[in-house]
Amino acid sequence: MNIALMKTFITSAWGKWVILLSIFLALGATAGLYILTQGLAATNLTDLVPWGLWIAIDLSSIAIAGGAFFLCAGVYLLGLKKYEPVARTATFVGLAGYTMAMLALMLDIGRPDRFWHALIYWNKHSLLWEVTMCVMLYLTVLLLEVIPTLSSFEWLRTRYPWLASRLENVHHIAPYLAIAGLCLSMLHQSSLGAVYGVLKSRPIWYRPDVAVLFIMSAVAAGMALTVFASMLSARLTSRAVIKDELLERVAYFIGWIMVGYLYFRFWDALSMNYTYQAGRTEGLAILTSGVLSFNFWFLEILLGAVVPIILLLNKKTRMMPAVRMLALALIVAGVVTYRWDTNLVGQLVMVSYLPGELAVSYTSYRPALIEWLAGMGIIAYGLMLFSVGVRYLRVVDHTIYEEAHVTVAKQAPTHGQTVPTQP
Amino acid sequence: MTEKIGRRGFLMIAAAGAAGVAGLQLVRKADASEGVQGEHQWAMVIDQNKCTGCGYCVMVCRAHNDISPEITWNPVLAAGRVGDKDVYLPRPCMQCAKAPCVDVCMVGANYYRPDGIVMMDYNRCIGCRYCEVACPYGARSFNWKEFDGANPAVPEWGEPEVDRRPRGVPEKCSFCYQRIDRGLALGLKPGVDREATPACVGACPTRARLFGDLNDPHSEVSVILKEHPSYRLREDLGTGPRVYYLPVDSEA
Repeated sequence: MNIALMKTFITSAWGKWVILLSIFLALGATAGLYILTQGLAATNLTDLVPWGLWIAIDLSSIAIAGGAFFLCAGVYLLGLKKYEPVARTATFVGLAGYTMAMLALMLDIGRPDRFWHALIYWNKHSLLWEVTMCVMLYLTVLLLEVIPTLSSFEWLRTRYPWLASRLENVHHIAPYLAIAGLCLSMLHQSSLGAVYGVLKSRPIWYRPDVAVLFIMSAVAAGMALTVFASMLSARLTSRAVIKDELLERVAYFIGWIMVGYLYFRFWDALSMNYTYQAGRTEGLAILTSGVLSFNFWFLEILLGAVVPIILLLNKKTRMMPAVRMLALALIVAGVVTYRWDTNLVGQLVMVSYLPGELAVSYTSYRPALIEWLAGMGIIAYGLMLFSVGVRYLRVVDHTIYEEAHVTVAKQAPTHGQTVPTQP
Repeated sequence: MTEKIGRRGFLMIAAAGAAGVAGLQLVRKADASEGVQGEHQWAMVIDQNKCTGCGYCVMVCRAHNDISPEITWNPVLAAGRVGDKDVYLPRPCMQCAKAPCVDVCMVGANYYRPDGIVMMDYNRCIGCRYCEVACPYGARSFNWKEFDGANPAVPEWGEPEVDRRPRGVPEKCSFCYQRIDRGLALGLKPGVDREATPACVGACPTRARLFGDLNDPHSEVSVILKEHPSYRLREDLGTGPRVYYLPVDSEA
C-alpha cells in the first residue's frame, strides 16, 4: 500500500471513523483478554450482584436486534413486499446485535471454555436453556438470511460471479426462514424477560408481565434502530440510498407499538403499587423514587416512550427527518435503559430469609472500568460491522430490489473504484 | 351438508393438537422434577437454643471441603435476641426438595440425588450464575478468583476430602455427601457415626446440630421433629428445605 493511498484513507471521513472504532475495539479486546485470562475478579460483580453491565449489554443487543424477525415476517409472510429492503437492513442489524450478545456472554460466563456445554447438556426446565437454544438457532437463521446480502459485495461479484449468484439464490428460502425466525424470536425474546420473571426469590422480577414487556419493547426498539440507522447512513454516505416514504410508514407503526408497550407498562407498574410485598414494593420504590428513578421516569417513560409516541404519531413532526430520527433514538435509548434497570433492580433489593417479618436489605453495583472498556469494545464491534455492511454490502439500499432479479453476470459494477480488474 | 375441513382448518387443528401434547409433556415433566425418592432422605436439624455462635462449624466446613477463606458455605448469622440471650442462625444449603437452582440451571449442572441432596457438577457448570440469582437463601458463592495456595483451615480443623473447585463456577454446601457415601460404604450410620456425618454436625461443641434419615422413624431427627415445634426458612416459597430449625424456647 503506498503512502498517498494511506493518507487519503486517514483524512477521509470513513478512515477517521474506522480508526476511532478500531481504538475502542483494541481497548475492548485488551480488556476482554484480561478478563479471559485473569477471571471475573477484576470486575465489580459480587455474589450479591452477579449480573452487571455485560448482561445489560447482552439483553440490549438482543432487544435492538428484534426488528429483523418482525420485519421479515411482515415482508415474507404478510406479503408487504415493498418493505423488503428495510427487512434487509433489519436482518443485518440483527446479525450485529446477536453476535454482540454472544461476545458479551462469552465475557460474562465464568467458564467460557465450556460454552459448548450449553449445546450438549440440556435442562429443558431452564428458561436460559430455552433462550440459548433459540438464540443459537436464530443466529443460524440470521446468517442464512444475510447470505444473499453478501452477494452484493462488489469484489465478489466481479471476481467470483458464480459464487455471488449462488449466495443470492439463498434468497428463495426467505419465507421459510421468516417462519423459523418468527417462531424462534417470539420464544426467546419473551423468555429473556421470563428468565427474570420466574424467579420467586426476587419479588420485583417475579411477575409474568416481564416476558410481554420484553418482546414488545424489542420489536419497537429493533425497528427503531433499523430506521434510525438507515436514515443516519443516508445522511452520511451516498452508498446508503433510502426511500423516505417507506421509513416514514415504519416509524408511524413503531409509534403505535410504543402505545401498546406504554399501556402494558402502565398497568404493570400500577398493579405493583398495591398490597405491600417485601422486596417488590421496595424494588418499585427504587425505580420510582430511588437510585433508578431518573432512569425510570425520564429515560424510560418520558423520553423513551411518551415523547417519541407524540413525535411519531403526529404527522407534522414525523415528516421532519431530524425529529423522526430523534424520536427513534429516544426509543432505543429508553429500551436499553429498561433492560439495564430491570436487570439491576432485582439485585439491588434482597429479601431476608431470617425468621420473622420479611426484612429487606440493599446492595449496590457500579461497573468497573474494565467492564466499561470491554462493553464499549462490543458496541464498537457492532458499529464496525454495520458500517462495513453499509459501505460494501449495500445493507441500506432501498433501490436494490428494483434492479433486482437482474442476474449477477449481467449487472455491471455500479460503484466500485477499488474493484480489481480481472486478469 | 358435509363441510370439508380446509387446509387452514386442518393446520389449526394440527397446531392445537401439537401444542396440547407439548403442554401435557411439560406438565408431566414438571411433576417429575422433584427427583427420585431414594432409600434415605437426609435432613439436618439445628437447635437455636444450643447454638452459641462459636463458628467451629464454619471452620471444619472450610477444612473438609477445602474452601477458600473468602467463601463461606455455612455462615453463622446473628438472628436477634430473645430475653438476654443472643440468638444465632447457621445457614447451610437448604437442600430444597424443589430447588430453584436445579430448575434454572441451563446445563443441568445442579441435580437431585435420590437421597435429596442437591448436588453441583463443577465440571459441567459454565458459570452463568443464574443459580446464584435464583437461590432465595444466598447459599451460593462464586469463585471470582482461583483459590490457590494453602488452606489456612488445614490441618487445624481437618483434612480436605473433596477436590477444590476451579475459578469461574459457583459452589455451595453439599451436606458433606462424600462423608455420607464413604460412611455408608463402610457400614456406618450417618447421623450416628461421626465419620459418616457432615463435618459441621460432628464439630458442634454444644450438639446444636443433628443429622439423620427422615425415612427412618427412629432416627434422631425424625424423633425430635415429631416432639418439638420446628420451622424452616422461607417456607412460604414452597422450596421444601431439608434443614429444620428448633426455635429458641423463651420459657427455658
